[in-house]
Amino acid sequence: MFRGAFTIWGRDMRVLRRSLFSELVAVTAYPITLYLAFGVGLKGYIADVEGVPYALFIAPGLISMTAVSAAFEESAWSMWFHRKVQRTIEEYRVNPITVYDIVIGKIVSGFSQGAIKGVAVAVVIFLLTPFRFPMAHFLAYLYFIALGSMVFSCFGTMCGTVIDKPENIGRIQGVVIVPLIFMSGIFFPLSSYPATILPVIRVLPTTAIFEGARLSLLGGVMEPVYTVTLTLTAAAAFVLAVWIFNRKIEE
Amino acid sequence: MNNAISIQNITKVYDGIRAVDDLSLEVRSGTIFGLLGPNGAGKTTLIKILTTLMRPTSGNAFVEGKSVLTDGASVRGMIGVVPQVNNLDRYLTARENLALHARMHRMRAREYGPRIDELLELTGLTGRQHDFPDTFSGGMQRRLVVARALIHAPRVLFLDEPTTGLDPQSRRAVWAYIQSLRSTMTIFLTTHYMDEADTLCDRIVIMDHGRPLVDGTAAQLKEAFAHSHVYELEFRANADRYEEVLRTFPFIRSLERRGNSFRLELRDEESLKPLMDGIGSKDLKGICLEEPSLEDVFIHLTGKKIRE
Ligand SMILES: Nc1ncnc2c1ncn2[C@@H]1O[C@H](COP(=O)(O)OP(=O)(O)OP(=O)(O)O)[C@@H](O)[C@H]1O
Ligand SMILES: [Mg+2]
Repeated sequence: MFRGAFTIWGRDMRVLRRSLFSELVAVTAYPITLYLAFGVGLKGYIADVEGVPYALFIAPGLISMTAVSAAFEESAWSMWFHRKVQRTIEEYRVNPITVYDIVIGKIVSGFSQGAIKGVAVAVVIFLLTPFRFPMAHFLAYLYFIALGSMVFSCFGTMCGTVIDKPENIGRIQGVVIVPLIFMSGIFFPLSSYPATILPVIRVLPTTAIFEGARLSLLGGVMEPVYTVTLTLTAAAAFVLAVWIFNRKIEE
Repeated sequence: MNNAISIQNITKVYDGIRAVDDLSLEVRSGTIFGLLGPNGAGKTTLIKILTTLMRPTSGNAFVEGKSVLTDGASVRGMIGVVPQVNNLDRYLTARENLALHARMHRMRAREYGPRIDELLELTGLTGRQHDFPDTFSGGMQRRLVVARALIHAPRVLFLDEPTTGLDPQSRRAVWAYIQSLRSTMTIFLTTHYMDEADTLCDRIVIMDHGRPLVDGTAAQLKEAFAHSHVYELEFRANADRYEEVLRTFPFIRSLERRGNSFRLELRDEESLKPLMDGIGSKDLKGICLEEPSLEDVFIHLTGKKIRE
């Protein structure tokens, strides 16, 4: 069962390993810059946010952002590239594996990329700052990162499956992914939103990812609304991604 | 079982276009079968259906007795596929490409290691096995794709234009290799090259517009057209003027010029007299009846020249 998925995932990890160092440098540069600019550069100008020093307030979000963006990017581009450019999906499909093997292998690859890159940013940020957390907080935090990467990997897989023109994948990133990430309170507390739209914001899956992650890392709480929303979203995204791939690929 | 492939009333419609039209065909085990046809005839579509990449609009097909519709995984376990467009993984070395394929066929490393060595040797790629395929020439990439299709010792091998784009030397190397596989497996190939079909295939089907037009051995096809009327005319002078005249004759089916010589196909034997009357004998150097080539058969049937 899922031998094929495991084989495809193994291929992706082998390729990643070849360029791991440069990938990690590239992927950590942006969040670390944001961290230094906002967290350290503006330190004297921004007061504590809801009792938390600003640098600490933004750290979990930056880590989650790296993870989920990397998961989306890897899944979307890799699926598109293997389907349209290299046509390796076609080669996979004449082997005795199923379409489920292929799509699940690709989703797990995107997820793995997200997780690895998120951890890399976390390591750098924690080396740069004096903040320390209990182990339990980390485990709760990991839950949010993992499910967040899963959701974004599935979403990326859907985009890479149905979008044929590469520029449209770039547009989705600019118009959907980045706004969703920024709106869910990486740099500001959700309490800044007007009370009327707050309920909408709170049920966004991205809010569950970022706000949930922050609460778990800083306070060790697994907020039920966020946990449930995220778990359901991840399950739904997975089923949808597999279903869409299955439909599209059989033409 | 005698038939490795059995195609039953397959139709494939792409929004409006009938790429394959109610086609039925059987291919005997252990033979090399050649499918010929001009661009857009439906060859690749048929191969995609047989290799489970595409679902037919209607009909069914069986590979070694397994339905491509309901038992795709079993079919995929028995086939090797060389697609029309190379689909190698350019982020993996040649050897890794082969190993990945072997793993998807559930082979173990100690099983596929020696097999890969052997195939690299046969395809002359041993020295380049640790290089990435995008540093290979077109012919080397093609050979690697062929090697990949053979790792798991398939019972049926599908080759979609295996030698298109190769230089004469590489083509012959691929041919020799295909010949050496003869009778160890069933081979289903498509090609635009008549000489390729002539040398390799035990049986040839020429198709166009999704339907088969003729079916037989190369010798049979040529024999069937032995009574066609292909003549070669050679003029001493004024070939341009004669070309104009020839083009006005309604009974000439096809005309091809090479310097002062013309190769033409007449509608029937009765057309010979009006032809001779029309051109006179003043500048005529020679006229002879030609043995039809497979290419004549193809042009006669499809009305198209073969893509070069
Ligand atoms: N994905 C597709 N969508 C729509 N039409 C298609 C598609 N693939 C092929 N066709 C059409 O189906 C017909 C048969 O195409 P096919 O690729 O099977 O031909 P072929 O015989 O392999 O040609 P060639 O010698 O050029 O490779 C053509 O008219 C083509 O335009
Ligand atoms: Mg084709």
